[in-house]
Amino acid sequence: MSEPVLKIRNLIKTYPNGVQALKGVSFDVKKGEFLVVIGLSGSGKSTLLRCINRLHDPTSGEIVFNGVDAAKLQTTSEVRSLRKRIGMIFQHFNLIPRHTVLGNVLVGKLAYTSTWKSLFGLFSEGDKADALKYLKLVGISEKAHIRADQLSGGQQQRVAIARALTQNPEVLLADEPVASLDPATCHVVMDYLRKVNQELGITIICNLHFLSLVRIYATRVIALKGGELVYEGDPKNIDQAWFEKIYGEGAKEVHIN
Amino acid sequence: MKGNIVRRSILDGITVTVLGLVLISIVVDPTTEQLMNLKFNSFLFLALMVFGAMLSHLLNSIFGIKTLGQNLFEPDYEKAKAEAKPIYRTFWGWHFIVTLIVLFVVGLSKTQFSIIELLDEDGFEGAKRLFAGIFNPNWGVLPAAVLNIIETIFMAFLATMLAIPFAFILSFMAAKNIMRGPVSFGVYLFIRTFLNVTRSVEALVWAIIFSVWVGIGPFAGMLALMIHSIASLTKQYSEMVETVYEGPIEGVQSCGANKLQTIWFAIVPQVILPYISFTVYRWDINVRMATIIGLVGGGGIGTMLIKYQGQAMWPEVGTIIVVIAAVVWIMDQASAYIREALK
Ligand SMILES: Nc1ncnc2c1ncn2[C@@H]1O[C@H](COP(=O)(O)OP(=O)(O)OP(=O)(O)O)[C@@H](O)[C@H]1O
Ligand SMILES: [Mg+2]
Repeated sequence: MSEPVLKIRNLIKTYPNGVQALKGVSFDVKKGEFLVVIGLSGSGKSTLLRCINRLHDPTSGEIVFNGVDAAKLQTTSEVRSLRKRIGMIFQHFNLIPRHTVLGNVLVGKLAYTSTWKSLFGLFSEGDKADALKYLKLVGISEKAHIRADQLSGGQQQRVAIARALTQNPEVLLADEPVASLDPATCHVVMDYLRKVNQELGITIICNLHFLSLVRIYATRVIALKGGELVYEGDPKNIDQAWFEKIYGEGAKEVHIN
Repeated sequence: MKGNIVRRSILDGITVTVLGLVLISIVVDPTTEQLMNLKFNSFLFLALMVFGAMLSHLLNSIFGIKTLGQNLFEPDYEKAKAEAKPIYRTFWGWHFIVTLIVLFVVGLSKTQFSIIELLDEDGFEGAKRLFAGIFNPNWGVLPAAVLNIIETIFMAFLATMLAIPFAFILSFMAAKNIMRGPVSFGVYLFIRTFLNVTRSVEALVWAIIFSVWVGIGPFAGMLALMIHSIASLTKQYSEMVETVYEGPIEGVQSCGANKLQTIWFAIVPQVILPYISFTVYRWDINVRMATIIGLVGGGGIGTMLIKYQGQAMWPEVGTIIVVIAAVVWIMDQASAYIREALK
């Protein structure tokens, strides 16, 4: 087995309002895997992802990324160079609505560009070529000069994927990337994530709600319940008993196709 | 102590103090000398405040009778419990009505309100002469009035333009959602306080200050308007910054962007239209204010108006009023259309 890209040890996150969203979570993320995080609403999935790229500061524990403990990073510049190597996509896409698609994708190059150049929009030709390359990869290069808010949800999420790829990340975090999309579009976006995973070899950690999707796309699954890790393993091994343990007694699985 | 109790005590204290002072004035009929005795009156005021606050506590906490302050400031979950009663069957309702009536009566007496003055023969004749003049404008001064109002418009324009860069930068430093962390929050508090103080000094007062500083004229007026515009625009801008969506901010931050880049890419696009809208409206307000400021030596049409008014040259004043009204109306319409189009 290859060395894990991420080693998470005893991760605890207590929000200022006293809610303990993560109560000591430990697991490894292997290089090149498509790891899916499942769990009920409020189980701490989003918190977990946001601790990994330090959008939230963990209360204690370790997040070892390439041999460095990301949980201990102090200065904002250290945190920024961590984020540079970890891309993220969101349930609500989080694009800049008034900017063009290309402009949005170039945001992925901000960490590589000096502040003054970026404020004047002076991205290098190489950056632009990169941005277009990834737009082509997610199949919407023809929309490059359209405003982002003119696109459908599925298209916006593909732009968000291109933005994250433009960062040239090792790991891609996806927080319920298809939760606000219809079932058909859902598969389109998930297929692109799989393509990114398999063709570019980028490790993916993805929060999902639907087990039917988990079985298709995940190479491994972890489940959170009340801020604790309750399952870790192969998606095929989640039977009714595990399902009830993760989602509670009497829970029924819904299928989307 | 909880904030709502403090607020309740202050409001109830003030109402009791007002009623008490009015009552005392009626009974004692104080001399001017007694009225000017600041030390004793302050003491009286404080004593009544304390008495009022205690009375309020007594009524609310011991007897369970709701005072005006309690009704206004109690938390929402308490408000939800209250049964619907017509206002005249509640204690706080009468508390409010009595206070209002007393304030109204004191207001009448303080402003020396008098129907007799209003209908007084001599005074009425004077007003008639004034109106006769105003309604027969002397169009001879029209060219000068137009020149002066152009000066006023540009005074307002320049003040607005010069205020924009300051307000733009300050607005982010005065927004709570940007200034997180102990040092930033200190800066935030400092700027907020500074702006509140600046804004609470009227533009008119700034004009007086600057007319001493740089001499009477449009430059003084422009500086006064600029200071006032910076403070007002910063407040309006920063309120917009505080209501932006978090999504784009997270999106840009997740790419490793620094603070300036995050503001520029995630926040500015969200606030730019409201910013322009506020700015256009500020220019419109500034034209009106510039007129007033002219009255105290800020230059432009206001200074011209006060000159003719001082000599009771009513036909000339009439022309100036027509010019001001026309410009204000046009600015008002134009800025309304522009702001509508920006939505
Ligand atoms: N910024 C915050 N401040 C305080 N509490 C928070 C914050 N964000 C999340 N929480 C709390 O932390 C817990 C975990 O939330 P989190 O968003 O991580 O769950 P989730 O598994 O992503 O849920 P969902 O499926 O609804 O997205 C919840 O109880 C939530 O209320
Ligand atoms: Mg979530």
